[in-house]
Formats: sequence, C-alpha cells, structure tokens
Amino acid sequence: MNNVSSRTPRFVRIGALIGVVFLALPIVGLLKRVAWSTLWGQLTDVATRDALRISLYASVCATLLALVLGLPLAWCLARMQFTGRRFVRALVLLPMVLPPVVGGVALLGAYGKTSGLLGGVLESLFGIQLTYSLSGVIIAETFVALPFLVLALEGGLRSIDTKYEEAAAVMGAKDLTRFMRVTLPLLKPSLVAGLMLAWARALGEFGATITFAGNIQGRTQTAPLAVYTMLESNPEGAYALSFLLVAICVGVLVGLRDRWIGGASQ
Amino acid sequence: MISLHGTVAVGEFSRHFSLEVGSEIVGVFGANGIGKTSLLRTIAGLCTLNDGELSVNGVLVDAPAKDMYVLPELRNIGMVFQDHSLFPFMTALENAAFPLTLRGMKRSAARMLANEMMEQFGVAHVAEQLAPTLSGGQSQRVAIVRALVGAPQAVLLDEPLSAIDDESRESVRNQIREHLDGLGVSAIVVSHDRADLDHLCTRIENYTR
Repeated sequence: MNNVSSRTPRFVRIGALIGVVFLALPIVGLLKRVAWSTLWGQLTDVATRDALRISLYASVCATLLALVLGLPLAWCLARMQFTGRRFVRALVLLPMVLPPVVGGVALLGAYGKTSGLLGGVLESLFGIQLTYSLSGVIIAETFVALPFLVLALEGGLRSIDTKYEEAAAVMGAKDLTRFMRVTLPLLKPSLVAGLMLAWARALGEFGATITFAGNIQGRTQTAPLAVYTMLESNPEGAYALSFLLVAICVGVLVGLRDRWIGGASQ
Repeated sequence: MISLHGTVAVGEFSRHFSLEVGSEIVGVFGANGIGKTSLLRTIAGLCTLNDGELSVNGVLVDAPAKDMYVLPELRNIGMVFQDHSLFPFMTALENAAFPLTLRGMKRSAARMLANEMMEQFGVAHVAEQLAPTLSGGQSQRVAIVRALVGAPQAVLLDEPLSAIDDESRESVRNQIREHLDGLGVSAIVVSHDRADLDHLCTRIENYTR
C-alpha cells in the first residue's frame, strides 16, 4: 500500500478519466441517436441488407486471402534470414500506416483497368476486372487487413519452441505433416487472434474500397460505405448500421479478451 | 548399425567423435559440456557434421565432403529428448501414438499399441492427461514409449532416466533394456549417471574434456 509505484498521482487519474470519456462519448452519442423502435426495420432495409451481405462476404474472403498470402510471409519473416528481410517487413507493415485512400490509389496503379500495371493484362487474358467489382472490394480489404494477420502470425511463430517440430521430424513427420499436426496447433492462439483482427479490419475498411472499387449499391457498397452514403439520405439507417458494426467490433474484442484485454489487466 | 567418424560442431563447441555401434546398447558417459547431446542431435539429423561421415544401418546420411545430408524424418530414428519434448496440446496417449500414426497406422490401432506399451512403462493411468499436466517421471516414460513404439532402426536416449524416481528406476531400466533387445537395433544412451549406464548398456564410451 505504501509502495511508491502503487500510488497514482491525482493528475494522472484525471488524465485517464478524460481519456476514457473521450473514447466513450462517441459511442454513447451513437447509441443515443439510434432509433431503437425502428432499428429492425432499418437493418432489414434492402440497401442495408445488401451492404451487410457484401461486407460479410468480402471481409471473410479477404481474411482467407490474407491467410493464404500472410502465412508464408509470416513464416519467412519469422524463420528465415534473407537479404531484403527488413524491406519486406516494412512493405508488409506499410498498409497499416498508409492512409487507406492512398492505398486505394496505389491499388488503382497496380490493378486499374486501363492504367494499372496488371489490370490490363488481367482483363485481356482472363477477363477479370477488379476495379468497381466485388473482387476489387476483396482485394482492397485484403490489402489493409494483411499486415494485422502477418504481425500476429510472425509473433506466434517466433514464440513457438522449435524443439517440438524437431521431435516430430525425428519421428518421421515430413514438412506438411509437421506443419499441420505440430506447428499449426501451437500457432492456434496467434492464428485465431490474427484472423479476428484481420477480419475486423476488413469489415471496417472504407478508404481503399471506395477509391478502388467504388460505392455501388448491391455491388461494391459495403456497410461502412452504406453508413457514409446514408448519413445524408437516411440518418436513422446510418445510425442503425453503425450500431450493428459497433456491436460486431465489441464481439471481436470479447472474443480476444483472453489474449489481450485479459492479459493487459493481469 | 551406427557409424560415426567426424567432427560434431555446434556454435563454439567442436569435437571429433569416432563411434561404431552394432546391435547393442552403447552408453556415452562424460561430464556436462563434452558434446553428448550434440552427438545425438547430429546422429538424428538435427545438426550436421562439420567433417567426416555418418551412416545409419549402412546408409550414408551425413557426409559434408560428398554433399550428403539425409533429413531427420527420413532416418527412422527413435529419440528420447533430454527435456522430453512432449507435444503440449496432446494427451500422453496421443503423444505416444504419434509415431505410429505417422507410419499410416489407423488411429484406433495406434492408440491400442501405444497404450499397451504405456502399461508396460506404468503410465497407462495418465493416458488421457494433457502432456503439461504430467509429472517429470510420467512425462519421461511417455517420451520413452514414444521413441520405441514405432520400432525405429536406431534409438537415441538422452538422459532417459533423469526424472525417474529411485523406486521405479530399476523397473524402467529393465523395460528399456527389454524393448531395445527386442528391437535388436543400435542404441546410444547418454547419461552423466554411471550407474544407469552400467545397468542399461552393453558397452560404455567414456569421454573427457
């Protein structure tokens, strides 16, 4: 009790309280604006349903694509020494710090139909157009979600004691078997956390999506884009959808409580 | 048959070994730091020779001069690790049955066979316990079962009795000896306990710094 480090000065407490109010106020404001009596009707409106359907589908696809690309990347970053490793790591982290709109512009530069580096080739060879399409939404969401997954998996892979994989190898487990039966179970907590974070980031993605894939209702309009659009035409719907997104994000945090929130409180 | 004539080097450590092991149990005795564990890891394929040659059952598996190195998973070796290295997310029985399932045996048959051997080593009663909940002695016995159950072509045991209590030491030594005799393979036992090696081995190699 008399420990100096356990005594918290008053100004620190006041600062922390202001911080909590600052974070909580917008959520309270949002909840206050939700028209609870018409909430269900707003959430089942055609435009809202379309946006939710696209958001859920695209975010799940983006998360899976991020997993396919992110797992090998995380493995190489965690376990390989190679020239340019720092550069690759910085490249992986870049979408995290890049303004999402700039990410969208960069994606246009890569996969744009006419001016993109690969866009023309994809169109002429495979008939694939990424811009202003659902595939474009998935690509944009993957671009911003990938770093979250790679970071979580890289940390997880680094923390795994390789003695288990060595033991499995001596017993006769080849690469893929070893990965599936030993590495993956050991990696599971990081994998789950990374997938949830990546999915939440993909679900909330706005800037890169609107820039790269547009905001077409029923085709590329995701829930965050619908909220933005509805704020002018149907504010009640915008608040209802925002409430739903907040609820989903809270669900993700609850799902991760053991890993981060619980850990922080210990 | 294990034949090793070469230099084992791990980090700063380096030592030349000359070892021939037929169908027998050879003890490797010596103080800490003489490279006993590195020797076993090299034979298992977890480290590579610096120079010289290593063959297991007549097959050359490591020879730097000939650019030859066979991966651990292809050497068919059973190994008890010093820290046991049981998979923490598996039960004792799943750990013990792991090498059998790798060989394509059906899960139920693998579990049955592993369970039989666990009974012989006195750990069948903890079969369904997760590995981290086992005591040191139980964990070590499960590790021994895991190393022997797949009938490997060579067996390496790194301090296999270090966590076994005095009361059951004799029984575990006998069980190991019986199984190794049954397999009729080359076995190397590393220990800093001379009494264990005297009881377990047909021959002892003494290494000094």
